[in-house]
Amino acid sequence: MGSKEELLSELSAAIVSCKKDSVIAAVEKAKGKLEPSEIIEKGLAEGMNEVGLLFERGKLFLPHVMMAAEAMTAGVKLLESEMPLGEKSKKLGVIVNGTVEGDVHDIGKSIVSTMLQSAGFEVHDIGRDVPTRTFIEKAKEVKADLIGLSALMTTTLQGQRDVIELLKEEGMRDKVKVMIGGAPATQAWAEKIGADCYAENASEAVAKAKELLQ
Amino acid sequence: MAIDYALRMGDGKKIFLSKDQLLEEIEAGSADAADLGEIPSLSGDELAKLSEILMMPGKTVSVEQGMEVPVTHDIGTLRIDGDQGNSGVGIPSSRLVGCMMHERAFGSDTMELGHIDYSYKPVKPVVANECQAMEVCQQNMIVPMLYGAMPNMGLYYTPDGPFENPGDLMKAFKIQEAWESMEHAAEHLTRDTVWVMQRLFASGADGINFDTTGAAGDADMYGTLHAIEALRKEFPNIYIEAGMAGECVLGMHGQLEYDGKTLAGLWPHEQAPLIEKAGANVFGPVCNTNTSKTSAWNLARAVTFMKAAVKASNIPCHVDMGMGVGGIPMLETPPIDAVTRASKAMVEIAGVDGI
Repeated sequence: MGSKEELLSELSAAIVSCKKDSVIAAVEKAKGKLEPSEIIEKGLAEGMNEVGLLFERGKLFLPHVMMAAEAMTAGVKLLESEMPLGEKSKKLGVIVNGTVEGDVHDIGKSIVSTMLQSAGFEVHDIGRDVPTRTFIEKAKEVKADLIGLSALMTTTLQGQRDVIELLKEEGMRDKVKVMIGGAPATQAWAEKIGADCYAENASEAVAKAKELLQ
Repeated sequence: MAIDYALRMGDGKKIFLSKDQLLEEIEAGSADAADLGEIPSLSGDELAKLSEILMMPGKTVSVEQGMEVPVTHDIGTLRIDGDQGNSGVGIPSSRLVGCMMHERAFGSDTMELGHIDYSYKPVKPVVANECQAMEVCQQNMIVPMLYGAMPNMGLYYTPDGPFENPGDLMKAFKIQEAWESMEHAAEHLTRDTVWVMQRLFASGADGINFDTTGAAGDADMYGTLHAIEALRKEFPNIYIEAGMAGECVLGMHGQLEYDGKTLAGLWPHEQAPLIEKAGANVFGPVCNTNTSKTSAWNLARAVTFMKAAVKASNIPCHVDMGMGVGGIPMLETPPIDAVTRASKAMVEIAGVDGI
């Protein structure tokens, strides 16, 4: 029959296997024995966290992350009929993510977008070399909870400050959190410009986004 | 009275650590590399030597006499004439002037000619200009002149190139399409790099530098390895240097292999044999600086990785050092105290053959 811990462990392991069939089987087994929210948060989501860590360590790769995310989506779908109305397909938050104006690097930013999406956020990746005002316009359009700002050069870091200043001018700063990242960015820089947080890598971006938006 | 030693954070900020704190940091940094790379951490003697280097009182330090190593370059003359946030000091000068400055004023052992856009794909339409510049430089200089650029396979994806961006495809769960896009882009990268270098070698280039190999992930490295292989076959005596973009090959594809080895997730000591197998003469391993950690932590970590890479490589290793790599803080003009300590540690502890 399986204890609670065993069932949760199987759910998590199924996600790490990145196989949809395994996840579906594990969810079917846990259904009725555990609350849907527990299956999702303590089983499947834990597995996604592990996938993120393995990705950072170079043990799993981006396609695995996407397969795991797809498997998780399939698993969550199986539970929707048992979840209270309003909780179905609930996104963790809405995020606008982009590389700041003048900076054309986008691989790291794209990976962060992918990981955030896999973790259950609604992500609007607006690309690279994004004009400062476009971040604001997009955040308004999609009613973003958080703006992610990537900069890969010391000369474009200022763009992160510019977006924050523009949010203040528009009277939106209290409503929208700001996360910064990119090789030259640091926690100290985040504090200096008034960002809500700094993330060193994609896994940390997911963890910090969850913290900020819970 | 306890003494505090001046060090840096990974972002360049000056900090002061006691000896005990410094020792803790270098142990932790080395252990982190050992854990990730599954390699030995630095020995007690090596940690002691590293701590001595970091605690030296001089602003700059240098290698012991007799341990000097050659220095190779990247970015061509952009550090002189570049002024658009691309690591230059904005002195108007031709590329010939910049190259000769490196040879005669800076004492460079080798020099590199590079294009303002510094990637292979944009060189294609202006290759005649590059050939002319190489010829003129060769006629005026003595040191070996390479041609350098980045494979930068990202330029082959939309909006810059013909293949759909695999990041976008993966977000839409189109994984098979993403794989195909990367594989096609890698083929084009190999073809274009070989085409460009056939012309530059005909113009007298002494070698080629692949800078930031793997920047777009494992498919980028795959395309580059095949380019190295093709160039080595066509030009058996040419000098080929391949420097990496990051410490771990980013698994954008995840399934591409070279010589039976999956490229995704490889650390420097695992990258070295493949670079050698492809036919390169010199390997440039990388270790990334963590801007939230101290320079002691970062340098110990970098030296641990580089030591393993040197051991695994039969070709010389010229460790990539500079802004945010090789244990050096992430600054456009990295502080000389950090740069010289990192250089000394790399030569005397990691045993690198060049920088």
